[in-house]
Amino acid sequence: MNIVLVGLSHKTAPLEMRERLAFNEERLRDALGELVDREALEEGLIVSTCNRVELLASTPDGADRGLGRLTEFLCGFHRLEPGSLNGHLYRHSDSDAIKHVFRVASSLDSMVVGESQILGQVKDAYQAAVEAGTIGRVLSQLMNRAINVAKRIRTETGVAQNPVSISSVAVELARKIFNDLSDKTVLLVGAGDTGELAARSLIEEGTGKLLVTNRSPERAEVIAGKFGGATVGFDAFYEVLPSADIVICSTGASDYVIRVQQAKNSLRSRKRGPVLFIDISVPRNIDPSIAELENAFLFDIDDLESIVENNLTERLREAKAAEEIVEAEVHQFIKQLRSLDIGPAVEEVKEMLSQMAASEFKRNRKRLGGLSPDQENAIQEVLLPSLVNKLSHPIILHLRNAARDREPSELNEELRKMLRID
Amino acid sequence: MEILWIVILAGYAICVAQSVFALTAKRPVMHRASLTALGIALGAHTVWLVIKGIRANRCPLVGTEEMSAFLSWSLAVFYLVASRWYRAAALKAFVFPIVLALATIAAISPDSQSAPPPANQPVQAILLPIHVGLILLSYAAFFITFGAGLMYIIQERELKHKRLGTIFYRLPSLDTCDAIGSRSMAIGFVLLTVGILAGLWFTHLRYGVYWQGGPLEIFSVATWVIYLLLIQARVNAGWGGRAGALASIVSFLIVVCSLVGVRYLGHA
Repeated sequence: MNIVLVGLSHKTAPLEMRERLAFNEERLRDALGELVDREALEEGLIVSTCNRVELLASTPDGADRGLGRLTEFLCGFHRLEPGSLNGHLYRHSDSDAIKHVFRVASSLDSMVVGESQILGQVKDAYQAAVEAGTIGRVLSQLMNRAINVAKRIRTETGVAQNPVSISSVAVELARKIFNDLSDKTVLLVGAGDTGELAARSLIEEGTGKLLVTNRSPERAEVIAGKFGGATVGFDAFYEVLPSADIVICSTGASDYVIRVQQAKNSLRSRKRGPVLFIDISVPRNIDPSIAELENAFLFDIDDLESIVENNLTERLREAKAAEEIVEAEVHQFIKQLRSLDIGPAVEEVKEMLSQMAASEFKRNRKRLGGLSPDQENAIQEVLLPSLVNKLSHPIILHLRNAARDREPSELNEELRKMLRID
Repeated sequence: MEILWIVILAGYAICVAQSVFALTAKRPVMHRASLTALGIALGAHTVWLVIKGIRANRCPLVGTEEMSAFLSWSLAVFYLVASRWYRAAALKAFVFPIVLALATIAAISPDSQSAPPPANQPVQAILLPIHVGLILLSYAAFFITFGAGLMYIIQERELKHKRLGTIFYRLPSLDTCDAIGSRSMAIGFVLLTVGILAGLWFTHLRYGVYWQGGPLEIFSVATWVIYLLLIQARVNAGWGGRAGALASIVSFLIVVCSLVGVRYLGHA
């Protein structure tokens, strides 16, 4: 039994090619059905996200045939020339395939190491394959183990811990200043994309009111409409400044939009509660000396980016530790798989029958009378082995078929009882 | 009893080591082991107090040994309550060094030989331990305030310096630190007030006057006045945040001074 994997990712193929080869939800079931023809491929799973398309299968026939069949299928299904994917596809078998599956599930192969989406996507792909009936013993063991490895890496290493995007840093800052976001007001000044993204992340995190102000009222309306917020006139937003707990500034203005005195007045009339200022504009729109006011926390784009960079470096460092965990888990899993192989059981059956035959021959040797060396040879080297093979063949066939669905330890047990092996 | 102290001190020492280390460690560090150590140590600590009380036939609140033991026990219990209410496990690193220090003082102090002055009435017999116990409990609450204040200052510093080290992610939010600080201060103040009143009442019953001017009395009342001012400042002048945190830290020093003063000047 071999495990084979064929695929392409953001590392090996451009977006257009990944899109071309993607499997959408409706066709996934059919694709899985076509993929697993029970001859060359016994079990199959397809992972298709915007960053990767991967086909995973188990084959009784040898890795090369399995890999070939997977590549054939991928090209055939999407009506592509067989050679057109060369250079973009990676092919893995057995321990390499297992390692790849573990790494992908743990987000070690993702564009942003430590991202949390991929595990859900892998779980969904597994679920779809289960429902399509293309998951058997081998892949179910592999996928369950992959999911556990991913969880282990998330908890035991820092690979997924610290935020690595401007928006998620903004959210983390807000959460470390304010305990409860649900009654906090976000004021979005300006219409830059990054600012809007940060505001969206905060809203998704559960902030209360959103106020949007912009030099162009229409633009402000559009953004406010998207998130269920209210607009404020650009000349008048200073008046609502005191009510804003989080201020995101992202205009194209070339000078300070929020000055020290305005911030001071605002803070004074707030009585209590700090304010988080996030200045995403270049050049800066919020006077930097506001950072020195008590109860005001100011982060400009440089600050945010350096935090992101530090965290990314941290993640990459943690990723090394994660890779070591993956290595160890791959070793363990292979050992587990091997112990489930029925090969040894088959050998035992043959061995046992051979010994029975040999001892019966010895016991009844006298009855056979005189035998020439040729005859004796013919019996021991040809007749008995041939007999053993014929007798054990149906047993072995049965074993192989049964091993597909049942625990080999059960089978071994039955075998022992059946053949009275102590 | 010595064996108990070894278990107690070892357990608290593990808690201190683990919690301080965990503040800056990149990966989760022995969290469950520390929790188990805390459970065992606190259990042994409770047993010690109970045995002491039974043997002396009174509440174990007399003398440095017993008072330190009770204070560190209360502090550990208050930490458990606070960390449950507020999900602020990082508080452990700031509170348990004090717990360990107080427990060590108790462990090395000689047996409390002095028995309290024989009470004339049952009411007096209850009032004295209530008086001492409540004041000690209030000090434990103020130690929590101190821990929360320290956390606030560190967290604020991280934010102001914009570097966000590992400790930034371990500490709770500023709001939470502030909430723990103000709530523990309020609880401590109430305990202190009732404790002082119990003391005044006891003194009156025992000696006929309300006030004798002993060191514990003076220190307790001084502490009470200072905290009254602090609370007023928080409520009126809107002292939350950093000013409040600084105040909490100052108050810690006051409490320590009180305890040291009482220790060396004797108590009424």
